[in-house]
Amino acid sequence: MKEFLRMENMSKKFGEVYANKEINLSVMEGEVHTLLGENGAGKSTLMNIVTGLYQPTGGDIYLRGNKVKIESPSKAVKLGIGMVHQHFMLVEALTVFENIILGITKEKSIFIKKDAIKKEIQELADKYGLDIEIDKAITEISVGAQQRVEILKALYRGAELLILDEPTAALTDIEVEGLFKIIRKLTAENKSVIFISHKMREVLEISDRITILRSGQTIKTLNKKETEEAELANLMIGKELVNSEYKKVQKTKEKILTLEQVSFNKSSKHNGISEVSLTVGKGEILGIAGVDGNGQSQLAQIVTGVIAPESGNVLLNSDKVAKFAPINFINSSVSHIPEDRNKMGLIGNMSVKENLILKSLSKKRISAGKGFYLKRKAISLYAKEMKEKYDIRCASIDMELRNLSGGNQQKIVLARELEEEPKLLVAVHPTRGLDIGATKYVHDMMIASRDKGCGILLISADFDEVLKLSDRIAVMFEGQVVGIYPGENPPISEISLAMSGKAK
Amino acid sequence: MATPILIVALAELYSERAGQVNIGLDGIMAFGALVGFLTSYITGNPYLGVLAGGIAGLLINMVYAFCTITLGAEQIVYGMAINIFAPALASFIYKIYFGISSTLAQATLMKVMPIPILSKIPILGPVLFNHTIIVYLAYLLVPFTYVFFTKTKPGLNYRAVGEYPKAAESLGINVVRQKYIACMICGALAGMGGAYLTTCYISTYSDGVVSGRGFIALSAVIFGRWMPGGVLMAALLFALIIYYEKTNMEECL
Repeated sequence: MKEFLRMENMSKKFGEVYANKEINLSVMEGEVHTLLGENGAGKSTLMNIVTGLYQPTGGDIYLRGNKVKIESPSKAVKLGIGMVHQHFMLVEALTVFENIILGITKEKSIFIKKDAIKKEIQELADKYGLDIEIDKAITEISVGAQQRVEILKALYRGAELLILDEPTAALTDIEVEGLFKIIRKLTAENKSVIFISHKMREVLEISDRITILRSGQTIKTLNKKETEEAELANLMIGKELVNSEYKKVQKTKEKILTLEQVSFNKSSKHNGISEVSLTVGKGEILGIAGVDGNGQSQLAQIVTGVIAPESGNVLLNSDKVAKFAPINFINSSVSHIPEDRNKMGLIGNMSVKENLILKSLSKKRISAGKGFYLKRKAISLYAKEMKEKYDIRCASIDMELRNLSGGNQQKIVLARELEEEPKLLVAVHPTRGLDIGATKYVHDMMIASRDKGCGILLISADFDEVLKLSDRIAVMFEGQVVGIYPGENPPISEISLAMSGKAK
Repeated sequence: MATPILIVALAELYSERAGQVNIGLDGIMAFGALVGFLTSYITGNPYLGVLAGGIAGLLINMVYAFCTITLGAEQIVYGMAINIFAPALASFIYKIYFGISSTLAQATLMKVMPIPILSKIPILGPVLFNHTIIVYLAYLLVPFTYVFFTKTKPGLNYRAVGEYPKAAESLGINVVRQKYIACMICGALAGMGGAYLTTCYISTYSDGVVSGRGFIALSAVIFGRWMPGGVLMAALLFALIIYYEKTNMEECL
């Protein structure tokens, strides 16, 4: 087997942060090479370099042993590198045929020779078993068929190396089987495939070799035959055991939140939950681990009353919730740190103090007549108090919120949500986008409220965070809770396997 | 009556097919009308007038193109800005050149060019084949546009840019260049449509000469479902209604 692509010491810096640091990767002809890594491990950045969308900060790319420079996407196409993006690059209003020939300039005539090109495309499709309906509009065909069009599009441009970015994310199991058949036909014709995924089962089924990336660096390249799931999972997550700096508590008896067989949009693996049962006790943190987009958002929205479940019961303090509306949950003393503080948690154009009192407008301390008349002086005093207490760094409490840093914005959310001493706190990605200092502050505050007796449902895509804070850990995969593990000495490899859909 | 609406509607069609919604047509027309009139007044040549109107429209539409494509500004806002800015500029130039007077300056109108033999056909002849050259060109533009967008590779790439620029870019199509080209075509055609009014229709320029035809053209594009044939039908229908309204209005009053 000859080498097709080799990348040596590839680095890409965004500002001061390395997205890729001295990555080495080699792909043989006729090989399926998997890039395995968590969100943010640098897979996409690396592939954007290969396809000419990004220019590397350092490092060399060799194609069949010759050094090349890939300045633009069209150069990558010329060199025989084709990519199927996770979000398809298809023009929906055009037909399959038109999408495939789009932008091609190999014939001189400006008119499209429909019949001749169609025959050519059909032959290519038959060769690789790509079943397509060439005259249909993209909107009329299924997601799996759209993917086949993307693959055919790349092949029609003479791709020798095909990069598939999370190709199975949107497919049904049968469609995944079909895709794997196509991949095997491609490699039989000596074409190379880079397969990007974090689903262990699929990776082990299709790959010849596997390269693991973690925080922007190559960790190891392994032959599939010489490895097993547990080893891959450990390499991907990168640690055997985490020593938590916070003391874990034992499961408490009194339950704050109980979910019984709750389902929402059940058929969707990525935007729904299916028969989820779990409990959050008084003074404990239940962490939900899992790769983003396995139903966590829906879970958070249900337990804060934003959406109503289609079936099953939600119990707050052992009372069944009858009406799902955020106000009911707020009145039952449920606080919410939403996943996107700029969209759901805060109002950027309003001042710091206004954001601080959003939830307590009808409180006597803030207003007279249930929010009819706002007490300006009292509000300012309260805001100043919060500013001191939660260490919110802003020039003035009257400045617009959007001018604050992410960390200080999150502190405002915390101040608003924790000051009322809630019984239940739903925290979704509470430290996303924050620096180390702010992250620690948020964690400390959460632990402090836990110790005061608040039950916390922590949903985070950051596995470290879940390990560090949780007293119990539940793993979500494709809308289901696939396992619940203790937070004290958690079985890391078992949990990481569960996260990739391989629970025992 | 339908010709200026048709030309300007096709201008918008070329613009929107590349994803550039331009509601500034009315303004571009007004500016084209003035420049067309001035040129034909000074040179005595209405053909030069239409040409100059086209160039003027193209240039003024570059303001819109630069702001929306290069600077990424809101298309509707800048379309509206052109609608306010261009007619005012036209009015300003007219007043500087002619001063404030009660009589309107008159320029020569473009001569009708009957097509030999065809124009002698009873009934249909005078209706279809007894017009200025601009009218013929406008109607020829309809099948040309249809073939361009449906049968050619540049036409396909053009549409892809309008539908999903990211996909077009990933396939090596220069999206920014394509959008600028679209804005140039749009500006030139809309300017010519305006100049048509002052060189073929009435022989003088006055403020408000466009009288909302740009907006009518805009709706003709939507009514014609973004296809040249549909746009032609819409332009004819709208023109018929305007004509009917005008002739009956006099009787009513």
